[in-house]
Amino acid sequence: MDKKVPRSDIIETEIPMGTVHPAALEPYRVRFFVEDEIVQEAEITIGVNHRGIERIMEGLPVQKANALTEKICGICSNAHIWNSCRTAELGLGIEIPERAKYIRVIMGELERLHSHFLYLAHGCEVLSHETFSMRVFYLREIVMELLAMIGGNRVQYGCSVLGGVRPRCELDDARIERLKNDLNAIEEGLTGFVDRFLADSILLSRVTGIGVLPQKQAIELAVTGPSLRATGVARDLRTTMFEYDDFDFNVITQPDGDVKSNLVMRALESFESIKIIRQAIANLPEGKLVNQDWEMFDTDLSESYIEVPRGTLYHSYALESGRVRHCIIRTPSMANIGAMQYACIGDQITDAQLCIVQCDPCFTCTDRAIEIIRR
Amino acid sequence: MGLKSFSRARAIHVMLVYTGGCNGCDIEIVNSILSPRFDAEQYNVFLTWNPREADVLVVTGPVTHLNRKPLEKIYEAIPNPKLVVAAGSCALMGGVYKNCYGDIPSEEIEGPVENIIPVDAKVPGCAVRPQDVLAGVVSLLPTLLDAD
Amino acid sequence: MFSNTLLNSVVAVILTVLVCFVISTFLPGIERKYVHARIQQRIGPAVIAPGIMAPIKFMFKENVEISSPVPKLYKILPILCFIVVLCVLIALTPQAYKIPALASLVAIVGFLKVEEICYVLMGALSKSVMSVRMPFPDRVKGAAHLKAPLSFIEDISARRSLRMITYGSFPLYLALFAPVTAVRSIFLQDIVAFQQANGPFLFTVSGAIAAIVFFIGYMIILNEYPFSIIKAKSDVIEGPYMEYAAKYRAVVFITRGFFMFVLGAVFSVLFLGIPPNIFSWGILVNIIVALIFVFMMGIFSAFSPVFTNRQLLPTILGATLLGILSIVVGLL
Repeated sequence: MDKKVPRSDIIETEIPMGTVHPAALEPYRVRFFVEDEIVQEAEITIGVNHRGIERIMEGLPVQKANALTEKICGICSNAHIWNSCRTAELGLGIEIPERAKYIRVIMGELERLHSHFLYLAHGCEVLSHETFSMRVFYLREIVMELLAMIGGNRVQYGCSVLGGVRPRCELDDARIERLKNDLNAIEEGLTGFVDRFLADSILLSRVTGIGVLPQKQAIELAVTGPSLRATGVARDLRTTMFEYDDFDFNVITQPDGDVKSNLVMRALESFESIKIIRQAIANLPEGKLVNQDWEMFDTDLSESYIEVPRGTLYHSYALESGRVRHCIIRTPSMANIGAMQYACIGDQITDAQLCIVQCDPCFTCTDRAIEIIRR
Repeated sequence: MGLKSFSRARAIHVMLVYTGGCNGCDIEIVNSILSPRFDAEQYNVFLTWNPREADVLVVTGPVTHLNRKPLEKIYEAIPNPKLVVAAGSCALMGGVYKNCYGDIPSEEIEGPVENIIPVDAKVPGCAVRPQDVLAGVVSLLPTLLDAD
Repeated sequence: MFSNTLLNSVVAVILTVLVCFVISTFLPGIERKYVHARIQQRIGPAVIAPGIMAPIKFMFKENVEISSPVPKLYKILPILCFIVVLCVLIALTPQAYKIPALASLVAIVGFLKVEEICYVLMGALSKSVMSVRMPFPDRVKGAAHLKAPLSFIEDISARRSLRMITYGSFPLYLALFAPVTAVRSIFLQDIVAFQQANGPFLFTVSGAIAAIVFFIGYMIILNEYPFSIIKAKSDVIEGPYMEYAAKYRAVVFITRGFFMFVLGAVFSVLFLGIPPNIFSWGILVNIIVALIFVFMMGIFSAFSPVFTNRQLLPTILGATLLGILSIVVGLL
């Protein structure tokens, strides 16, 4: 496909949307430049959500800062606390017990399930297909209750702590039994949904070829995560993370980079997540949950990349006398904003919000001070 | 119970305004209205995105600087009688973000919501549970029914 | 003697309209609770909530100053829409057949056109807070296209309704004129008399095709889900109705339910030959037809996403061709 170029010369009119809009789950402003209902260019303005979390974290003890990272985002909260703990652990050289590692993976994958279900449901909602949206929300409720069972809260679970996981998140036999049963229910429901979705020709005609992001363009814009995999690039950081060494899973890709590819890819990836959780439950090692045998010392920059539901998450810490001296967090939506603006071009204005939703935006994650302090 | 209260009890339009929280509350609330598990419509609570239609404004988030004016505008656009539910600890007291500079006032966070618009009910929680939001909206019912 | 007949007719029409109106207020609730909510596996709202209680609630709300360049005209429009729908219903009652100018297909088509033009004006006059008027510093130094003219989201909606006038309502009008091919008269009196003599038009080949076209046109003119492009939630939120508050919104809510019923009555007159009349059992047929249409529309809208211009054009073109086919079959 030819490269789509935003036309800058003749613009008929500008239609701003936001900061509150039904198609957006979070505040952001978007300006669409439209000619005859065809979007010629889009400009997303973020910063509405800026709260300065990195600034708050500076000077806090590491444990507190870890807990605070959860408040960055209500969708991938576990990913943030996981990566934050992982960064500190890498810097301080803390060994994590095997059981804790497995429980972190289970939480991470459950969170991926809930994020992907939210994506599917929200996508259907923006398509105005209320019924499908309801069905996916119903499935998502099962995942939310599993998360609440393990973490004790529906949104922010606080599962990881420095050196392992919180004792509250111990998986005993009853919990594992419930996890197993619910996973079966989720798999059954999701299979039904995917079959139904792929058989619905009206819906498919509505999503095929909309919001196309060509592979070359995606690489140029440094798109990460599922949005990249939907353009046919098999790049998944989980294949390089040591936590996932014991698990067998496939990296799902889809060829086209349009809304259909994105939706189908998320659905198929959810099956892989279920597979990983099943493997984790079957081989859950015995042992303690937290390794408290470590010492705090000043560290230079330590950094960590992990694959979160929406892409690549980067954290970096420098510690000084047990406190965070500096911290940088880079979230996946930061990289994907370019893709969102690009995907809108050439589509109907009705589809424009869909094209933004297709890249899985999470601007609450992204709106933070980007302040680089180097020694 | 007159016709006024009777009709108000059977059609409540709720509008959600997110003002820069962490997204957790927003999704839990949209969820509680949308998902079949909680299904707020069975209590005749409808989700709307048009301030002219709304009766109850649910506000989440600590109200960041850029969100202050949109929130005021939307509040003004709602016809009387109108009620405001502040949901989540950020909306109640600014959450973890409010006092990040100690005694120096933060330029970023304008909240809590009470500083900007009058709040009638407060729903605590980080993040709020859908049951709590429903309870919050329902607890407002007597006020709403008796309003002029 | 004459005045007595006239009085009787007026009383009959008023009673018919009242009964129809009361029944019509249940239709949105029935669609929401018994169709959408059932399909979505939830309990759903009370039947009276969306159609009756919501308008009454809005009646008791305080009116606000709406933001519109011509507020008075903007406020009149929903009332005009309601009157238009009322006129269509009155034209359908057998008592009105004595006024041929009113009880003809041309009059009904004219009334429906007025309804459509109202959407264009509503869209153009509504200036909601949700887009341009939202105070947000986005036209700042460094932003793209600072000099581009600004549009409200309702402006797109107005432009879309204009487009819908030009081609969107073809299917409905073709279906309305399909019975004419059999009866050779555009007066409702003749259409009803012909069908009472020769059996309903619906059960002929031409009639069956025209009924399908009528159903598609019915959904288009009601702006129900697949065809709700002028009030698509994904971009224009509520489109033309954005700024209505209090009493005017109540009228909007009432008109929708009433319009559903009236279109059902149009179908039963044109395709079954049974006019709405309070003094005959035929009115039960009207009610049943209206209910069947609401159920079918609910099922169809629950399973389809909103159509953009890309899908709308082929769908409407297909329906139009089908309508022409039914007329051709009727003529042969």
